[in-house]
Amino acid sequence: MSKPIRQQFADTMLALGQDDPELVVLVGDISHFALQPFAQACPGRYYNVGICEPTIISMAAGLAKVGLYPVVHTIAPFIVERGFEQIKLDFCYHKLGGNLVTVGGVFDYSTLGCTHHCYGDFALLKTLPGAQITYPSSCLEFDLLFRQAYRNDQLTLFRVPGTAHEVELDAASIQFGKGIRVVEGADLTIVAVGPQLRSAMAAHAALEARGWRPEVLYIHTARPLDAELIRASAAKTRRVLVIEEHMRSGGLGDEVLRETHQIGGVSYAFLAVPDVFVRDYASYEEHCARLGLSAGGIVREVEAVFGSSPEKQLV
Amino acid sequence: MIAAPGRLRQANELRKRIVEIVYEGKDGHIPSAFSIIDLIDVLYDSQLRHDPAWPEWPDRDFFILSKGHGCVALYAVLEKQGYLTREDVSLFCKPGGILGEHPDCTKVPGVEASTGSLGHGLPFAVGIALGLRIAGRNNRVYVLIGDGESNEGTVWESALVAANLRLGNLCCIVDNNGSAAQILPMDPMTAKWEAFGWVAGEIDGHDADEIRHALGGLRFESFGQPKVIVANTLKGKGVGMLEGHGQWHHRIPNEEEFRHIMEVLS
Repeated sequence: MSKPIRQQFADTMLALGQDDPELVVLVGDISHFALQPFAQACPGRYYNVGICEPTIISMAAGLAKVGLYPVVHTIAPFIVERGFEQIKLDFCYHKLGGNLVTVGGVFDYSTLGCTHHCYGDFALLKTLPGAQITYPSSCLEFDLLFRQAYRNDQLTLFRVPGTAHEVELDAASIQFGKGIRVVEGADLTIVAVGPQLRSAMAAHAALEARGWRPEVLYIHTARPLDAELIRASAAKTRRVLVIEEHMRSGGLGDEVLRETHQIGGVSYAFLAVPDVFVRDYASYEEHCARLGLSAGGIVREVEAVFGSSPEKQLV
Repeated sequence: MIAAPGRLRQANELRKRIVEIVYEGKDGHIPSAFSIIDLIDVLYDSQLRHDPAWPEWPDRDFFILSKGHGCVALYAVLEKQGYLTREDVSLFCKPGGILGEHPDCTKVPGVEASTGSLGHGLPFAVGIALGLRIAGRNNRVYVLIGDGESNEGTVWESALVAANLRLGNLCCIVDNNGSAAQILPMDPMTAKWEAFGWVAGEIDGHDADEIRHALGGLRFESFGQPKVIVANTLKGKGVGMLEGHGQWHHRIPNEEEFRHIMEVLS
């Protein structure tokens, strides 16, 4: 198992910060110790500002106003939900670029209750013109996507998961705004977002054994979305399943429907967080299993929606 | 202190211009603009390092009008200073124009922040001040907020942060026109800022000499206490029927009222 992606965030800041004097990191009392190497290597460019997230976001926009490249880092709901108006107005309305690096997205803080959950962040940010959304789910992806996007003068969310997908991807294939066809198939498209790539790959083997030839697409950048890749696959397989750690409302499932509905004759299945508060206390894995965000969940959903095999499609 | 007659004439000319802009655009907040016009006029006339021919001049001082609903005052001063043409201003709140009832910095030369939602300007200015210090630049940062706006939590978050970061290149001006007293009183305003670690002073926000003296006496430095000037003002200052916290907050004068206001200011 590789190091936590959150540690990779600290490592990337250290590596980049030494070359880029315009990179500034603001945190809301989190990852303070992990970022000390950056703080020491880049004096005057690291601030543990305080527990005042809206102010941190507006401040970061002020840094961008004078030509710096700010990174705001703290727990997902406190950035995206509490600080939403600051993101909307001080970054997006002002047309200023900046970077939000969140941890504790979805229900990664699985036993802390809904105050510390955040599964509606993509939906919120998608309402903001110019906002970009990434979900880098391996250390390599974080490092590459951050380097590719952090100075592109847009507001970019890097949702850092607590669990990596553990699927090895070719570094050259990891391009901001581009999806990856991980496995080529013929009769079923599985669109996997973030850590759920692991479920998709496990389900792929199980479905193949049942006679399916699934195509697995991996999405690490939800906005801008690689719609062309998804459309081409949907047109080929005519069956699309989307699995994502986001609320059903406003998630990638909606985007996939919008981008492919004109193809015609395509059937869909969706695995997402239902539109409820996840009030149970459980581990991340247990939450995923209960919500069907797993290999088993994919297989069950495929058989329930599309039939037990490509030849026995449900009508 | 009684302002010199010439000075009063100039302030009244700007007030008349504010009323013309609102009357022609059929929108705007006259009393809020009258409350801050003397402060903004002195800032641009004698305090800010700025260049109307080059609004993005890297060495300029930054002025953020956080209480964006008073923006007609800023527009009148930007026109006077040469950032805006008479034609720009004639299209206030009209299709094709760049001036709305809240300022948009992506459209209006000389405007540094798109404000309107209260509580954003000070934290934004804190970021600018910090960023300038990080970049080793000695530009000064001024932000004007309202006393009613000071009900917002982000104002006090930012006040804490600015003091903790020792942003000595930052000056906040509070337009203390009594709006908060109608809602959630903020008194004693000056003592609050001092308690948050700022160097605080209090002035008559309509006395140009006092404003100039207070602003001119500030010592800006990379590291030091941030400064706040609590400017005691009056909404609608200068025309009796507009003064105070009544119906004129967002009212557009009719023809008769327009003539009366212009007559009073003449």
